[in-house]
Amino acid sequence: MEDQGTRPALGEEPPVVGSGNAPAPPGRVPPNPFSRRSILRALTSPVGWIPGIFLASIVVVLMLSSHFQNFGLGFFGPVWNPNPTDPSVATYGILYFVIGSALTAGFALVLAMLLSLAIAISLVVFLPSPASRILTSLTDLLAGIPSVVYGIWGYVILAPYFSKQLDPALSHYLGWLPGFAASPTEYAGGTGLLLAIFILTIMVVPLTTALLRESLRAIPREQVESGLALGATRWEVLRRVQLPWARRSIPSAVLLGFGRAVGETVAVFMVIGNEVKLPTSLFSGSSTMATLLVGQFDSAFEYPDLLHALVEVALLLLAISLVVNLLGLRYFGSGRMAHVGAGA
Amino acid sequence: MTAAAGAGDLSVDIELGLVPDRRVHRRVAWDRWLGRLLPLAFVAVLFPIIDLLYWIGSEALPTLSWTTLTTNPVGFGGGLYAPLTGTVYLVGIATAIAGTLGIVAGAYTAEFASPRAALIGRLLANLLTGTPAIVVGYFGYFALVLYTHSTFTLWAGAITLSIFMLPYVYRVTDAAFGSVPPSQREASLGAGSTRGQYLRRVALPIAFPQVLSGLFLAMAIGAGETAPLLFTAGWSITPAQGLSSPTSYLSGFIWNYFDQPSNLGHLVILSFQAAFLLIVGVLVLNVAVQLVAERYRRRLRGFFA
Repeated sequence: MEDQGTRPALGEEPPVVGSGNAPAPPGRVPPNPFSRRSILRALTSPVGWIPGIFLASIVVVLMLSSHFQNFGLGFFGPVWNPNPTDPSVATYGILYFVIGSALTAGFALVLAMLLSLAIAISLVVFLPSPASRILTSLTDLLAGIPSVVYGIWGYVILAPYFSKQLDPALSHYLGWLPGFAASPTEYAGGTGLLLAIFILTIMVVPLTTALLRESLRAIPREQVESGLALGATRWEVLRRVQLPWARRSIPSAVLLGFGRAVGETVAVFMVIGNEVKLPTSLFSGSSTMATLLVGQFDSAFEYPDLLHALVEVALLLLAISLVVNLLGLRYFGSGRMAHVGAGA
Repeated sequence: MTAAAGAGDLSVDIELGLVPDRRVHRRVAWDRWLGRLLPLAFVAVLFPIIDLLYWIGSEALPTLSWTTLTTNPVGFGGGLYAPLTGTVYLVGIATAIAGTLGIVAGAYTAEFASPRAALIGRLLANLLTGTPAIVVGYFGYFALVLYTHSTFTLWAGAITLSIFMLPYVYRVTDAAFGSVPPSQREASLGAGSTRGQYLRRVALPIAFPQVLSGLFLAMAIGAGETAPLLFTAGWSITPAQGLSSPTSYLSGFIWNYFDQPSNLGHLVILSFQAAFLLIVGVLVLNVAVQLVAERYRRRLRGFFA
């Protein structure tokens, strides 16, 4: 170590310089581990991790409340029957909820990514700067609308519209596509997968837009300007310079958006129809893991087994969100997220 | 050089003396059309939102009056006093907790933590931001209601809410203290101040507007949240009897009464009004964030132009 003469990173302990001839790194005296300052530092070091400590306690408390041995692999089976009268025949299989989560979050994310790519590109590349500034704050404002408000809007306004206008039209004209063929009884209420996907898309767009926008803006201006100066059009600079530069941010935005969509509870619960079955079309009522958590909590007071099963679902949801966010944050790491509004 | 036939609108190229051939024309036309088409995505996103805002305004405003805000819900009628005050209490307490912890932790991360510790701290905070609200709610139920052998309380709700709000305050504070120009820091430390003095006297005044906007942001997020509160603050239609009893709150009002049958129409109207109040509150806080951020930008420009 000391042969290379590397300077220690800022704030790290410098390597103890032995009897070698290399001079001590300039400017730092090796600290005395028992000095008042070192002790103070060791005592206060968890201060910066306060949010992390809360995260850890969430993980620990849910793990302690978990009784996974009660369920085994049947937990991922299709039959969800928390039979209260005869607990011995009750089965807890969350397959349909997993499917519901995957379908809603997956489709919502595809739509949201298409929209937010177009929006982020317009904001950074095409729109004149005043319009861009106003629309940027506007999309950031959208992230602040409470999910329960999206939910009541979806339930009161969109559900009747979907059941009377949109769903019949879609199933009439696109019925030859898988997922769009449905009998009128299926979209009678208007609630279901399609409405949940629609609401989720609107809710995810502000986050993914902010992420993509920031990554496009982070490109050094010289790169863009030299491209333009060479005579390339804005689109050519976008395709050859900006998109390659920001391309790693796209899968990250997908992952972070997925984490948000899969955890969204209240709004989805209000518009998805809450049926436990395999969806036969996009108009079917369905349920997600998150809506299961909020929907069956009240019954869980009376049946401890049900509460245990719900804790497993909460843990699974937590694990999914941690993994997805960890992968997504590899690009949008420290610092870059600070200004990305109410998103996540 | 021949005349620029068929490229009448490419005035820039003509001024530059270039001869636009058909290929250039195509490239530029494609670029212009993209510039017109891509912003249409805004319509797809903003139209639903405008519909939402218009609808909630037209439902809530005609019947919204001062008495709605000052009377309690009674039976199937009354006003929104209880949920309104409940939300104010919950968000107030949660902001006090999350603000204190978040600002201390953020300032520590920006100034004192070693690079590696700061990296871990930020990563964990970002992970906490990504944790689904409903999972935080379950945590609150187990840690603050079940294991303390208590019932649903305003306390439990406020603490759970503060966990949800904490990483936002932390991130913004960290970024705010981190964005103080290094010249200021070096001048201050070089003049012999301790890092504590530097933080209080130099960094805080510069970073304060941004920290404040982080607090507003966290409040806006907290006010609209439902999922962490359902299983911790419980629900009561009357005002909370104190910090250790279930409370009423706006988002919970919507959650409980949005699908009432129409013969209880007044409750539905009240839930529309609750939604309207939430939106207004959140928008006001968000506008405050933007104004404060703008002020901050101007201030920095004044200092370091």
